[in-house]
Amino acid sequence: MLAIHSLSKSFDKGKNYALENVTFDLKEGDVCAIVGESGSGKTTLVRLIAGLERPDHGSIALDGNIIASLDKFVQPEKRKIGLVFQEYALFPHLTILENVLYGISKLKNKKIRAQEMLDLVGLSEMGKRYPHQLSGGQQQRVALARALAPEPTLLILDEPFSNLDAMLRMQLRNEIFDIIKKTGVTVLFVTHDTQDALSVADEILILQNGKVVQKDAAANLYVKPNTLYVASLFGNTIQINKNLQTAFRCPLKEDCCHAIRNEKIKVNPTAVDSDCEYITNATVIKKIVLGDSIQLLLKLETGEQLTVMTQDKNVADTITIGFNSKDILEFND
Amino acid sequence: MKQAGSNRETFSLKSRLKRFKRDSNRWSVFTLAIVIFLALPIIFIGVELFSGPGETWSHIVKYLLPEYIWNSLYLVLFCSILVLVLGVSSAWFVSRFNFPMRKQLEWLLILPLAIPSYIVGYAYAGIFDYGGSLDLIFRQLNLDFIRIDIMNRAGLAFVLSISLFPYVYVSARAFFLNQANNLLEASKMLGVGERKTFFKLMLPLARPAIVAGLVLVLMEVLNDYGAAKYYGVNTFTTGIFRSWFSLEEPETAVYLSALLIIIIFALILFEKWQVRKIKFTSSKSNSTQIQRKTTTKSLKWLIFLVVFLPVLLGFILPVLQLIYWATLTASTVFDVQFLLISLQSFGIAITSAIITVFFALLLIFFSKWSALRFIKNVSRVGVLGYAIPGAVIAIGIMIPTLALDKWLINVLANFGIDSGFIINGTLIALFYAYAVRFLAVAYNPIDSTALKVDNSIPDSSKVLGVGNLKTFFKIEFPLIKTGVFSAVILVFIDVMKELPLTLILKPYHIDTLAVKAYEYASDEMVMEAAIPSLFIIFTAMIPVIFLNKLLIKK
Repeated sequence: MLAIHSLSKSFDKGKNYALENVTFDLKEGDVCAIVGESGSGKTTLVRLIAGLERPDHGSIALDGNIIASLDKFVQPEKRKIGLVFQEYALFPHLTILENVLYGISKLKNKKIRAQEMLDLVGLSEMGKRYPHQLSGGQQQRVALARALAPEPTLLILDEPFSNLDAMLRMQLRNEIFDIIKKTGVTVLFVTHDTQDALSVADEILILQNGKVVQKDAAANLYVKPNTLYVASLFGNTIQINKNLQTAFRCPLKEDCCHAIRNEKIKVNPTAVDSDCEYITNATVIKKIVLGDSIQLLLKLETGEQLTVMTQDKNVADTITIGFNSKDILEFND
Repeated sequence: MKQAGSNRETFSLKSRLKRFKRDSNRWSVFTLAIVIFLALPIIFIGVELFSGPGETWSHIVKYLLPEYIWNSLYLVLFCSILVLVLGVSSAWFVSRFNFPMRKQLEWLLILPLAIPSYIVGYAYAGIFDYGGSLDLIFRQLNLDFIRIDIMNRAGLAFVLSISLFPYVYVSARAFFLNQANNLLEASKMLGVGERKTFFKLMLPLARPAIVAGLVLVLMEVLNDYGAAKYYGVNTFTTGIFRSWFSLEEPETAVYLSALLIIIIFALILFEKWQVRKIKFTSSKSNSTQIQRKTTTKSLKWLIFLVVFLPVLLGFILPVLQLIYWATLTASTVFDVQFLLISLQSFGIAITSAIITVFFALLLIFFSKWSALRFIKNVSRVGVLGYAIPGAVIAIGIMIPTLALDKWLINVLANFGIDSGFIINGTLIALFYAYAVRFLAVAYNPIDSTALKVDNSIPDSSKVLGVGNLKTFFKIEFPLIKTGVFSAVILVFIDVMKELPLTLILKPYHIDTLAVKAYEYASDEMVMEAAIPSLFIIFTAMIPVIFLNKLLIKK
């Protein structure tokens, strides 16, 4: 339903690209997360889709109609896209009900629809209040109700939880996506937090420096990342360079880049998990107790340093570590 | 690779043109139209240059121009020094130290802005004249009166400085209060003393803010007509008036105006250069306010005196002199005629304030709705009128409207209509001129409140299916109301005080309080000028205090 083709945007006439040659599709009813660090172009991408910026190259189509290209530009107010901003952007001088009514003033039964929306987000009684009288989480839900009221074909959430603390964030994330799944709307969800993305999205699109590095089902990204960058987004990862290959005595293909997740490196592998094919000795330089588990800073015989985790509180000063060849990640860059 | 190829293509002329076609909308056209409309007076000055100088031009270049240039240079230099000393020192003391009546002095220091410089000029002439206030005081004390003649260049520079220094005070104080605290604390922690902290750290850092205030002062200095005329100092503005009214040579007025514009653009470039040099200072404003220091008792009173002196000279003394004159002339000046003029003055000021604010709103929002990025920069050109002296704008409007009216009269005469002048010498020309001159005064407070409204708020209105105009009326206007209101008030004061532009363009039968005060003073009836002057001061004072409240809030 959303088709983006070789989309580019530069804010300095081509010296730097905020977004470069981005191409992807979205199917009806999908929940897709866009993940990237700040400055990766996430926000530029959603602003282009919403019509708040204009592309320098490429096209955006919604339900088969071009809404932005070099020759065509459909105004944001004509796109039927719902957008929930990072800072909620509620109209401060209007009540909650007036905020929700704002986008559906032409509807016949607008009052009923607005009240339905407030019921949906669990704020039925709050209609007469003003935004500043609500908590952050409540404001977030009003923003969602307001965006859903006109029945958008596509709903975009731009970093919706970044203003909240960790506990509230998890709770609200689940609440919000329960509401959204009830409506069955197609969702684009921007976040810098991979936990957010993994917990709610069917598909994840990774942006790095304005380019798409991978778009895949959530489960695949962990198992088969395209690049070291993607791999490290989903957990600490070490590149297996020449020195490590020597230390573990594991010769690998020359023209590829290899890596291993820290959590896949086993400390003092026993007979039970002796499927560790590559093993080496290491000296413990530093132990950091992190509650239940212990972080070890190790020095290998070849002089390399690396960090591993263990549950063993009585770990000795010299240990063996090892990993299995099936856990090696292989990239082509 | 393919990517690199498409990038080069992205900024090829062909795709640029395509995007230009896609992104140009009616708002881009409207913005351009408004900018051109506001720049017309200056454009006309440029165009008129091609029709050649007047007969007396060579005479003026030989005998008068050196004097104009020398006097203007003298005023610029003298005023710069005095205004910097007064403005920066009072700003620093007020933000850094505790001393008696600090709170009161903090806003009293702004009040000189309520008095137009020509009125300060009249008052000081009265203080130092034979038979003036000083003379009377000396005689009461049985002393010989040592007369200081101030009706000259130095006196004029003093008068202009003492009435304009608050521009520097306000911008320097804003910097010291909001930006300086972290750095000040860092300097203290490094064990650096008070004096060195000020000269080595605060002064260099505050330079962009100080220069911005100074440039405003110098623009006012070059704009002044009333005080220079009264003190008999020949400047560019008095030269423009002379060539227009006495020599009746518009061509010469145009040439002088063009020269003056060049000087002013040099000033603006100087400011831009100064500000660019230390851009990093304005990066972030600190939430913590500067901590004031308490000093020894004698030092406290010394600081009080230093800060009180500019208030005394710039506000209290001139106002006392005017009040004294007012008591002497009240019976002759106060009549129905005077009431009528006050009402006219009020009506003109409020109407032009509303018109000017309307133009500012159009410019700000049309350029925002235009999808072409360069339009926003172009729109700033419309604001440049604040730099152009009133007399120059008046000349730039007078010449084309005279020609247009003559043409209209001829055309309409063919239809048997005797129209008379339609634009020239009517309120239309006057309102237009005020809008050109004071657009920046309206633009800045509106723009800064509009900037405080996060972009996501109008954006979400648009995403919810509501167009630009409706978004403006339902969302943006309610949120920027205070900015619009203060813009109306600020333009109102400026129009009330305005003299040179009004003198040239005002309709024959209409007077303002400023013009009345000027006429009294030129007719050797300076005492009678006191009452209209006080009227201007008191109307301007209330908003100045109000403006200060806004400043403190910020």
